[in-house]
Amino acid sequence: MNVFLYCAICFVVLALCLLIRLIKGPSVADRAVAADSIDILSDMALILYALYSGRGIYLDIALITAVLGFVGSTLVAKYLEGKL
Amino acid sequence: MIYVIYVFIGISLFFAFAGVVGLLRMPDAFCRMQSSTNISTLGVLGVIIGGILYSAIFLHNAEMAIKLAVMGIFYIVTSPISGHAIAKGAYRHGVKMSRKTVCDQYGEDMEK
Amino acid sequence: MKKATVPAIVSTALVCFIFWLLITGQVASLLRGEPSAQVLIAGVIVSLAAALFSARFFIHEKPFFFANPARLGKLIAYCFCIFPIELIKANVDVARRALSPSLPVNPGIVKVPVEVKGEYAQAMLADSITLTPGTITMETVEEDGQDYYYIHWIDVASQDGAEAGEAIKGTLEKWVRRIWE
Repeated sequence: MNVFLYCAICFVVLALCLLIRLIKGPSVADRAVAADSIDILSDMALILYALYSGRGIYLDIALITAVLGFVGSTLVAKYLEGKL
Repeated sequence: MIYVIYVFIGISLFFAFAGVVGLLRMPDAFCRMQSSTNISTLGVLGVIIGGILYSAIFLHNAEMAIKLAVMGIFYIVTSPISGHAIAKGAYRHGVKMSRKTVCDQYGEDMEK
Repeated sequence: MKKATVPAIVSTALVCFIFWLLITGQVASLLRGEPSAQVLIAGVIVSLAAALFSARFFIHEKPFFFANPARLGKLIAYCFCIFPIELIKANVDVARRALSPSLPVNPGIVKVPVEVKGEYAQAMLADSITLTPGTITMETVEEDGQDYYYIHWIDVASQDGAEAGEAIKGTLEKWVRRIWE
């Protein structure tokens, strides 16, 4: 299904647009939110690529990046609060 | 049946686009967090539901469908936790709110 | 922090074991009728070990609260019927605000009184509020027996606590209280 491949490319382009916010963002919190969203959008692209190729191995990678993104953004929040 | 899956993925693309535009346009960090919630709820769920339908009906692969469902539940459970933690941490760190802000009862109560 | 009891450890281990079954792909094998004994035994050992150390962080009240079918039915109705409607309405609203050319936002933090009691119920209500776009719970405090949430709201319609609470969490709070009563 080529449609899945085109949609995956759209998600990657959206993630690249968020790089503007990641570079420009005035505070650390803006950068943390933008990085979290880039993580989620690239996960969506990986899921669509797994559907396109019909192989489940890409879903494992997406699951691992989801877990790591959650842990990372919670760690940044702890650091901002001054408890680390 | 394939068109239903396309509709779900289209909904997901639309909300992800709206979230990205909001993240680039909103005036301060807290409003940007509200827009990023847009990406992590309906932006995720559209692709997940479409993927479950496609892998169950067209690929006949139960393992992929179950793994996608686990991913959806994981996103729904963890995204409010990290959103709440980042919002509170940013406020305590001293991130400024924009000039459009109407009221700030949290700051008033913290000064007491 | 109090010590974990045996029912608390058993219920945490049960949840861990279900998660193990899901991510190792054993459910598909069970459906085909050819489960692998090695993976199941390893899952039991690992989930019991994990529950032994982590149960006291998760379970503070009744461990088997949802073993009652009526409560489980209400929880499923909340997760699959009531909450998605609110989620879709809030999503459309925030997407419309982000895409409209004049950017109609007036953000602010309001203090809202909460009527639900108990740790789990308050955590569930706070997570539901944070998960709907447009509102983020920033902190929970308790003053003279009444609990308050500080909520960042993207469109402050009213600065009075009770009115703002009705607009933010009207149906959600009713259902959460009905589930955990």
